Amino acid sequence: MTKLETKGIVKFFKHDSHNLMALGGVDLEVEDGDFVCLVGPSGCGKSTFLRIIAGLEKPDEGEVIFDGKPVTTTGPERIMVFQEGALFPWLKVQDNVEFGLKMAGIPKEKRSQISKRYLDMMQLTKFADSFTFQLSTGMKQRVAIARALVMDPDVLLMDEPFAALDAQTRDLLLVEMQLIWEKTKKTILFVTHNVAEAAVLGTKVAVFSNRPSKIKKQIPVNFKRPRLAEDENLTGLQQEILAELRPEVKKSQ
Amino acid sequence: MNKITLAKKIAFYIILVILWQTISMSDIWPNNIFPSPYEVGEDLAYMASDGSLFFGIGTTILRLIVGLAIAIAGGIVLGVLMARIETINQTIGSLVLGLQSIPSIAWVPLAILWFGLTDTGIIFVTAIGAMFAVTINTYTGIKNIDPHYVEAARNMGAKGTQLITSVLLPAAFPYMISGFKQGWAFAWRGVIGAELLFSFLGLGFLLNVGRQLNDVSQVIAIMLVIMLIGMAVDGFIFKKIENKVMSRWGLR
Repeated sequence: MTKLETKGIVKFFKHDSHNLMALGGVDLEVEDGDFVCLVGPSGCGKSTFLRIIAGLEKPDEGEVIFDGKPVTTTGPERIMVFQEGALFPWLKVQDNVEFGLKMAGIPKEKRSQISKRYLDMMQLTKFADSFTFQLSTGMKQRVAIARALVMDPDVLLMDEPFAALDAQTRDLLLVEMQLIWEKTKKTILFVTHNVAEAAVLGTKVAVFSNRPSKIKKQIPVNFKRPRLAEDENLTGLQQEILAELRPEVKKSQ
Repeated sequence: MNKITLAKKIAFYIILVILWQTISMSDIWPNNIFPSPYEVGEDLAYMASDGSLFFGIGTTILRLIVGLAIAIAGGIVLGVLMARIETINQTIGSLVLGLQSIPSIAWVPLAILWFGLTDTGIIFVTAIGAMFAVTINTYTGIKNIDPHYVEAARNMGAKGTQLITSVLLPAAFPYMISGFKQGWAFAWRGVIGAELLFSFLGLGFLLNVGRQLNDVSQVIAIMLVIMLIGMAVDGFIFKKIENKVMSRWGLR
């Protein structure tokens, strides 16, 4: 079943005096429960594409269709996880995780019941009363993921969430992310510039072309999970992705 | 503060007092013009023992607190409106910048004409002198919020008043705290200045009484009290809040 669909998404970037066409009509169909990794040369607009799906930006042309209906604003069924986490420093970890529930007017007791489950899932229970400045970058991203999952969205939109992590932390989170996906059955769109990350996580890898970007190729990934970054059978796949990506990166420079 | 810095400070003040005592004993100026630190201390002790000092401090602080509370409340509301509604920023915002440049003391004649020689008048001067600093800092704070905070909050369903109270104000708080600090400084100057001219009760009033009685040591004694209270508020209250906010917000 198609969960999310984009039709001919066009977006211009304002660039000094002229407009630059960043997205040149992006069509994408995402099945319910898909884990789609979006890779592309830097500046191709893949993050912007994600923000358009979230409803944080408006496309200049085209539409986003969720469950058969066009959407133009943000909604709790499409929740974004930002690159830097965008956690609120004035709130404790638990209050950060409960933020969306509080906005929805859910009473305190019910909130802590729900948040407890996700704090456990992300191994954050010990840190529930910490402030974000006391956390490592990896911990912060766990909080950001928990904060998004608490909303119980249909679609999780992740914008390079592991880009700022050190290699060991990233490896850990790559495994955990697969477990979370298997456990929660969420549909996930995951933007990354890291080909290995895309191969490990995705059920599908969508490669963006250089500006004006379209989706150049979609590569299905069928290896069994949990996959590790160093799995040898992923090497071939990574080569395949890179072969698509490399000419686009070249054009972008 | 480390021990060496503290020692330097203490030594400096001891030398200052000794110097002051030496000059006053040298008979360059008569004692009623340039009193010794001992005489000033005596005056302070006298005003403390008959309670007039504490009554004066209490009166001034009370006026300050009421004035500053009004300034902070009004300043935040105005700052939020300016940050959220562009028309208000373009119109009232420009006026705020202008009003900010009026020294508190310049509001005194208007306050006397409007409110007479009343507490309300003094509080008016205190509040209006402090309010625009709070306004401008609240506005700047909200304008400088990391846009990801607002996007994340909107994505999680925050809007309207909820967005303002649960995200915009806390995110702008590091700026707002500088606004409160500036506001307090203006309010402190404003309340003393107004008391000098309105002339009833308070530290400013005691200063004026000293002048009328030609009592230089009382004038200096009250000035010292004003300075010490100012240092205490800056050094303890605001510094503590600032340190806490800065580290929690990850700005240090």
